[in-house]
Amino acid sequence: MDLAPRILTARFGVPGSHTLEVARACGVYADLGRVLRLEAEAIAAQVRASGLRGRGGAGFPTGAKWGFVPPPERRQGRPVHLFANADESEPGTFKDRVLLWHDPHRVIEGTLVAARALCCHRVWIYLRGEFRFLQERIDAALGEARQANLVGPDILGSGFDCEIRTFRGAGAYVCGEESGLLESVEGRRGLPRIKPPYPALVGAFGDPTVVQNVETLANLPWILEHGAQAYRAWGTEASSGTRLFSVSGPVRRPGVYELPLGTPFRELLEGCAGGLRPGRRLLAVLPGGSSTPLLTAEQALGATLDHECLEALGSFLGSGGVIVLDDSVDPVAALANLTRFYAHESCGQCTPCREGCGWMARIAARVAAGEGRQEDLVTLEDLARSLRGRTLCAFGDAAAAPVLSFLETFRPAFLARVRP
Amino acid sequence: MNRVTCTIDGQTVTVPEGTALIEAARALGIEIPHFCYHPHLPVAGNCRMCVVEIQGSPKLEIACNTAAREGMAVRTDTEAVRAARRANMEFLLANHPLDCPICDQSGECLLQEYWDAHARHASRLRDPKVTKGKRIDLGDDLVLDQERCIACTRCVRFSETVTRTGDLVLLGRSDHQRIGPATGARITHAYQGCLAEICPVGALTSRSFRFRKRVWWLEEVDSICPGCATGCNVRVCVQDDTVHRILARRNDAVNRSWACDEGRGLYRELAAPERPLLGRVAGRPAAREEALAAAAARLGSARRPGLVLGGQATCEALLALVRLHERALPAARLFHVPGPDPGRRAWSDGILVHADKDPDTRGVRLLATCAGGVEDGEALARALADEALDLLLVLEDDALGRLGIPAAPGVVALAFHGHRSAAAAEVLVPVAGCWEQDGTYVNAAGRVQRLHRAVRPAGEAVPAYVALHRLGALLGVDLGCSTSEAAAGALAETISGFPREVGPEGVVLPPPLDGGTP
Repeated sequence: MDLAPRILTARFGVPGSHTLEVARACGVYADLGRVLRLEAEAIAAQVRASGLRGRGGAGFPTGAKWGFVPPPERRQGRPVHLFANADESEPGTFKDRVLLWHDPHRVIEGTLVAARALCCHRVWIYLRGEFRFLQERIDAALGEARQANLVGPDILGSGFDCEIRTFRGAGAYVCGEESGLLESVEGRRGLPRIKPPYPALVGAFGDPTVVQNVETLANLPWILEHGAQAYRAWGTEASSGTRLFSVSGPVRRPGVYELPLGTPFRELLEGCAGGLRPGRRLLAVLPGGSSTPLLTAEQALGATLDHECLEALGSFLGSGGVIVLDDSVDPVAALANLTRFYAHESCGQCTPCREGCGWMARIAARVAAGEGRQEDLVTLEDLARSLRGRTLCAFGDAAAAPVLSFLETFRPAFLARVRP
Repeated sequence: MNRVTCTIDGQTVTVPEGTALIEAARALGIEIPHFCYHPHLPVAGNCRMCVVEIQGSPKLEIACNTAAREGMAVRTDTEAVRAARRANMEFLLANHPLDCPICDQSGECLLQEYWDAHARHASRLRDPKVTKGKRIDLGDDLVLDQERCIACTRCVRFSETVTRTGDLVLLGRSDHQRIGPATGARITHAYQGCLAEICPVGALTSRSFRFRKRVWWLEEVDSICPGCATGCNVRVCVQDDTVHRILARRNDAVNRSWACDEGRGLYRELAAPERPLLGRVAGRPAAREEALAAAAARLGSARRPGLVLGGQATCEALLALVRLHERALPAARLFHVPGPDPGRRAWSDGILVHADKDPDTRGVRLLATCAGGVEDGEALARALADEALDLLLVLEDDALGRLGIPAAPGVVALAFHGHRSAAAAEVLVPVAGCWEQDGTYVNAAGRVQRLHRAVRPAGEAVPAYVALHRLGALLGVDLGCSTSEAAAGALAETISGFPREVGPEGVVLPPPLDGGTP
């Protein structure tokens, strides 16, 4: 795997990589002038052919997503908005912040490519409330880019105009959900919207809108420069290219690693993250952030990191936030911790999530404290099942997933903790 | 508009494209349980109660935000749907205080009804409930219990889209979420009763109705609000011959599902202390028949009588007066004095409240046309100043008050309110208020709407058309207005094109009556 390209991390660790001078010296923006002169459809066709899928969590094919946006002649004078989603609030996920910190210009470049493909002239980079330090860095990068005619009117003489601004939310998990993000941008509470209508037709300010994860955008310049086939050379049939994995938990070298999709999990754990601490045994892995059903140690050690394999195992690639649990972790307490997060972050808008998340958290906390009864476990499982697929946005599924998978995987540990 | 045909529970229904399944089902008489959906508010989709199964759809869908599509096969009563409703009720009631015995909503609470119909579970909650604010003073007629709230946001959406005041918002999140005033200030708009009424649970209650009646004792009579020329459709809630509250009645062409607070409070006029309940002749209390005889005697001997058509009178009473003019008092001059009565402000708000505070000004215009025209308030003021009239019969409106004239000689008043004209009358005949009688109003938009009697007239009062019919009899003529049916029939005979049957939603006047101006 030494030959794997560093599509996303090539400039990580290069001194001054966030400055325009260094970024340009490393090849950022080199191909932009050519790309911006392409027909929008030519860009979209490359992206479709690349098989690129969204890196935010849902893994939706990027080219197909753009296809839902009405072409300019059917927009009836309405603008299209593009939002680069850097809310990154999924527990266990911390790759977007690293990407933006080291390589803001590549994200800007990718954003311009997407904007050109969508015939969109105004882009916001949406940052979560806590990312003030990133906002400063990105604003500085945007300032340099503007000076260099890389952002703004008639970029590099291509005739394409595009303004990019940053926007910082007020800090809520659901603002990473695309329609919650749009509500936040419009100045309201970050409550996800009911669908339909979908943002591609009715998004921010009622206009067609695309919300795209920043890692997804950062892939675009490479795809346009090297071609869809070169991109497809990496990864698997349904999971092309490379991904950033955020590895956390009791491993020796937690951090962000870029690997081609389809790489065995074992290689990420042992090769990149340095394996577990001495004498520890792998207990389980949450492969794609806290919302993805966990894999047992056995499943994880036999898994490859791609959509196909993880979905076959009943989980998801999600946001690439790999949370490792070893045998020092108490799964009952770990579940109590996760449910507390979802109870805190439920936006409260729809019934099952508002009432269910808090209730599940209270039961889980009580069970973890040794105050639970067997019937509590039945209730807990029932609540999670009633939540799944019944809520206004995907939050309900996210909150139910750890409960159901922890109860299933660690039933003996839970039963040992409750009274009959 | 394109129409689509789909099946719901095996029944076929054809609806305009874009119709939500919840409305398509309603067209078939299938009521899909729901809390947050309201036909006159934007769809929120948050209560998750209206789930249905759609063939080919992997998940249950909400009927309020799913448009009917051609060939769609929908089921509203499958095991999956029932399980989802049961689970949803368990969620909704988990932190609910379950204080039905002391809750004013009891008996008309959707939580109660749906628990009974769709859940019937016992609570499995073993943890403390989330506690929130109780008895919050939200406005003059509005009390909030945040613990009973199910966060359906009907009130929030009403404040955003109907009153456009934005004064109610969601605060906090998760199961600590609650509704509350946006700025901490009390709500001051004129539609607080609507908030209490659209709240599907006991979170928002009306201060004026709280703890006064258990709703299951109340009977509801469909009627019309007499408060202004909008003519909002209302339900009059009655027990023991007493009106206890007014609720809005849906009429999409008039008031949608709303009614203003001023209109909701008008039932208090039925028991107003200044209201005349007995007749009066020359300053002495008199039985109705005695007062009518005195009025007839004065009318019979008057040489220059004036008759005032009141915009608060029903069309039936106006017809009786016009016929009295025709058949017994051909020399009389007819007047109409536009309102409002003193003490009422001629305000409007672009929502429901109309500047014309008389419910039947259009009725006056119609009957005036029949009578060959009427003179205006200025003419009446001049006639009174010139002593050109030796008798003035005032039907319902406070004609003197409206003209700012303290008193006039020879006033015969048929009055429901204890207003200045009634006080100044030499002969006073008490008449019924609007919910004490059947009758007809024509609203500002020319819609003919029927009043229905909810309570008996108080004291010696009778409907004005009955009093006028009797007055005619005493003067030796038959006005044909002894009952509401007779009077309504007479209206249709007299005014060609005037609808005989109007139904619960009223009927717009046909041309040329719709042009209406005499």
